[in-house]
Amino acid sequence: MNVKVRQAVIIGSAIFIAVILELTLLSRLGLPGATPDLVVVTIVAIALAYGPLPGAIAGFSAGIVMGLAPPFDGVFGVQAFIFTIVGLVTGAVVDPRDRSVPVIMGMVGLSTGGVVLINALVLSVLSGDRVVWEIVPGLTLTAALYGLILAPLVVPLIGKIVRTLTPEVAVL
Amino acid sequence: MFPRRLRVVVAVLLGVALTFVILDLRGGQGPFTSARNVMSSIFGGIERGAATVFSPITGFADFWTNTRDQKARLDELEKSNAELQSEVKRAADDRARASALDGMLKVAGLGRYRVVPAEVIAIGPAQDFSWTVTIDAGSDDGIELDMTVLNYQGLVGRVSNVEKRTSSVVLIVDPSVSVGARVAGSQEIGILSGTGKQSELQYQLLDPLASLEKGAALVTFGSKDGRPYVPGVPIGEVLSVAGTAGQLSRVATVRPFADISTLSIVGVVVRPPRTDPRDSVLPAVPDAPALITQPTPSPTPAESSAVMSVPSEVPATESAATQ
Repeated sequence: MNVKVRQAVIIGSAIFIAVILELTLLSRLGLPGATPDLVVVTIVAIALAYGPLPGAIAGFSAGIVMGLAPPFDGVFGVQAFIFTIVGLVTGAVVDPRDRSVPVIMGMVGLSTGGVVLINALVLSVLSGDRVVWEIVPGLTLTAALYGLILAPLVVPLIGKIVRTLTPEVAVL
Repeated sequence: MFPRRLRVVVAVLLGVALTFVILDLRGGQGPFTSARNVMSSIFGGIERGAATVFSPITGFADFWTNTRDQKARLDELEKSNAELQSEVKRAADDRARASALDGMLKVAGLGRYRVVPAEVIAIGPAQDFSWTVTIDAGSDDGIELDMTVLNYQGLVGRVSNVEKRTSSVVLIVDPSVSVGARVAGSQEIGILSGTGKQSELQYQLLDPLASLEKGAALVTFGSKDGRPYVPGVPIGEVLSVAGTAGQLSRVATVRPFADISTLSIVGVVVRPPRTDPRDSVLPAVPDAPALITQPTPSPTPAESSAVMSVPSEVPATESAATQ
């Protein structure tokens, strides 16, 4: 199979599985604060493994899928916008030669926490009084924390899949 | 900073995302609405399957998130323990669901609502600031937009989107939701709004001079044709009242009866009752005899302000008691 096709299949299925797991398993665990944002961690993992361009594409697709999967009730397209930037920035900022564990973990923490903050800002502009600011700090911190817990599981797993199936385009 | 190709692709992606945002904010039936509905139906179907696979895990989670209700749960377990001895061994998960369904049907029976039972299969992420869940019943099961959703404890929300076999429910704690509510007993009406916190609602009485006491129960006021809210569904109890009588902004904090964090079995009211069940669906108050079991025999002519409420209440409670 063509390397582009293999890459698309890996990105597509990773995002698909992440969305389904986040909505039907992680959100129903009833954890305090935010829902563990497996989707953002997956985007970061893909961007780390493939670089900024596939990272941005993965972020965009993940945002679209999140908007299509019920029970979505926000503004369609906002997540696609935010996730595209997450994929781009993660892929571009982290130098492939300087990938230590603290750098990767920091990137995941910043992304998962940052997504909550940016989402709150954008939604408060677009859809009025829906955002409850008192809970935003708690949501941001717990989102970052859950992201840090998910990262050691997701980032190496996706990295390994990428290196095994598409060694030609893997950054790492 | 970035190579040309990357810049072009990212600009296109961001542009498309912004177009979607603008189309969605414009509202109405955009060009993508039908395509989105088809995709949502497909994802709904997949979520149904995934929820079945994960139900043992989430069932366990329900149990440990419930620690603050442990005492009530202990009594419940002790009672069910006796029954269990004669029962065939069943999975704990199945048992919890059956009793939730049973309780929900009982509430529906008291209020004479016709309900379609459904299970919560997916929950929107908390960081989206929208309190919505997906249930495994859709237009195939007779669910329509804006139907009332309740569980065995009380009002849960209303149907906000319907697909073929799943539908989305916006919960009463969502900050964008307002429900017309009536104080049980005093019949005062007001507006209850979500706060975005899972155990808190805010209630504002229309009459600032009306008395409102801690512990008072609220039921739905009802809407035209029973949509979005059918009348008489218990919502919650007043925890505290801010301000004194006569003050313009008297707001009460209300705790919802339904435990939003551990929703599993819910019922969608597909046909509202012919007559308003009034307060007869409320859970029994410990210090007062339950209205359901002992309908107060005809009114001894009116004590002060209760004139209005008593006569209208009696027929409803009797019809509930004959069930």
